[in-house]
Amino acid sequence: MRTRTIFPGRFAVFAALLICAFVLLVPAPAHTQTGDIAVVVHPDVPVSNLSLADLRRILLGDREFWTTGVRVTLLIRAPIARERDAAVKDVCQMTEAQFRQHWIGKVFRAESPSGPKIVYSTEMALEQVSRTPGALSFVPAAVAGRGVKVLRIDGKAPGQPGYSVK
Amino acid sequence: MGSPCAKKPIYNLDVKMRFMVIARVSALLVVLACARPAAAQPSAPGAPDAHEASMGQTTQAPADAREYPTLHIAGFGDVNFATTKRPEGPRGFSLGQFVLHMTSELSPRVTFFGEISFTARSDAGTGAPLAPGFNAEVERMIVRFDRNDHLKVSFGRYHTPINWWNTAFHHGQWLQTTITRPEMTQFGGRFIPVHFVGALVEGSVPASGWNVNYKGGMGNGRNSVISRAGDAGDTNGSKAWLVNAFSKPDRAYGLEFGGAIYGDTVLLATSREVDERIYSAYAVWQKEDPEIIAEVANVRHEDPGTHAVTWSHAYYVQAAYRLPQFKRLWKPYFRFEHIGIDDADVMFATVPRLDGGTLGIRYDISQYAAVKGEYRSWTRGEGTPRNHGGFFQVCFTF
Repeated sequence: MRTRTIFPGRFAVFAALLICAFVLLVPAPAHTQTGDIAVVVHPDVPVSNLSLADLRRILLGDREFWTTGVRVTLLIRAPIARERDAAVKDVCQMTEAQFRQHWIGKVFRAESPSGPKIVYSTEMALEQVSRTPGALSFVPAAVAGRGVKVLRIDGKAPGQPGYSVK
Repeated sequence: MGSPCAKKPIYNLDVKMRFMVIARVSALLVVLACARPAAAQPSAPGAPDAHEASMGQTTQAPADAREYPTLHIAGFGDVNFATTKRPEGPRGFSLGQFVLHMTSELSPRVTFFGEISFTARSDAGTGAPLAPGFNAEVERMIVRFDRNDHLKVSFGRYHTPINWWNTAFHHGQWLQTTITRPEMTQFGGRFIPVHFVGALVEGSVPASGWNVNYKGGMGNGRNSVISRAGDAGDTNGSKAWLVNAFSKPDRAYGLEFGGAIYGDTVLLATSREVDERIYSAYAVWQKEDPEIIAEVANVRHEDPGTHAVTWSHAYYVQAAYRLPQFKRLWKPYFRFEHIGIDDADVMFATVPRLDGGTLGIRYDISQYAAVKGEYRSWTRGEGTPRNHGGFFQVCFTF
């Protein structure tokens, strides 16, 4: 009787292929983040509450100044970031393409000298907001720390039921 | 006697100086080392592309540390193809406008905006007969002082803010859904004064969520060649004026509506003067599912000598819908437009009438480029033969 032998080398190749297939085909658990997005401003900004409509007007460049006459400096994360999605999709109710086209048009219409400034990390957003008079940005509520002021939106703070920026 | 410093042993002084130098260099290195990770972060995933950086969405130093002036340049361009049953306008391939747009903050409250176009024309070159070439034009040149949201004052050359399309899309064909502008606001057209040279005061007030915006201006008005603005000065002593108001209510996010009045006394090339009043109104639903734009303008001309009054009017309605399928890249649209000229209107004697419809579709190749295809059918007033044609455009911003 003839017996089949499994060569260790062939087995190793088979196992490696199996592992590779597993790694490639089985989707990695999505890196999902949950929790509210805080709207943070420079501590000198003279408001502690904004309506969602006011926040939208700031994001779309229709409101450019705080009541003290200081210009709003809008700092927003680059695409893909969850904070940007919250600002663009939830607050502005736009797609990323629509948001970009809106701002290209806004600057082209001479209504605004420049679009939102891009920040590349939460730390950078917090640092820039704390240093720039009139600055506003979006950060995960859990890390909104000292040096910035967290705004209420429609009277609700991050974490409260009914808070609308998620 | 020497100075007190001279009494110190030179060895000790050197050691102190060395210590100070080492301390300062160390401090500098620490500062640079701390700054480096932040500077390296742009290469992180999600960093914006060059377009985002150049067209408004820029990363800059905080406002308090910013240097002025800050110059940003963007541009628009388009290439067209047209075929019509009867010759009217360019046929075959043609270059559209090549537009350069500049913005520069001169200080936190002073901003410059400029727009230059290069337009292909069959008669822009030299020689006899005239060779084709490009016409350069300063389309807009505005310097603006912003006090706050309620008050902004500017001077320069504008697109006259008495028509929504004229101030929404300017020369950026990529920004608009369709291939062409409505004919009532066509560049080089005569129905409304497309350009305005003068001063403008504008601002906005919340007005309990109605977000009322206003504009008031005074300028040179039309030139004797009525399609042109008074760039080099007023042709008569009468200044043109305009008042514009519009609202973007919070309760109907996406809606904008408003109106404008424009007044001027125009000195025609025949040395005849005509008093002109333009009354316009519009309503726009700016979301793309659907997008609806409707505008109307009535132009009243009065001969100051005979007090004879004529009324001419124009309107258009455009509807578009970005299809939710196919990654939201397709956007079909339809527009109907009409221009009616009073037979007795001397100033508009050569302005063509129009009844026309446009059916087309836009496909966004990328976030900064699109192709559009259109079928148009139109007549030039009652009794004129119907013309129709197919049009194609590739447009982009960079």
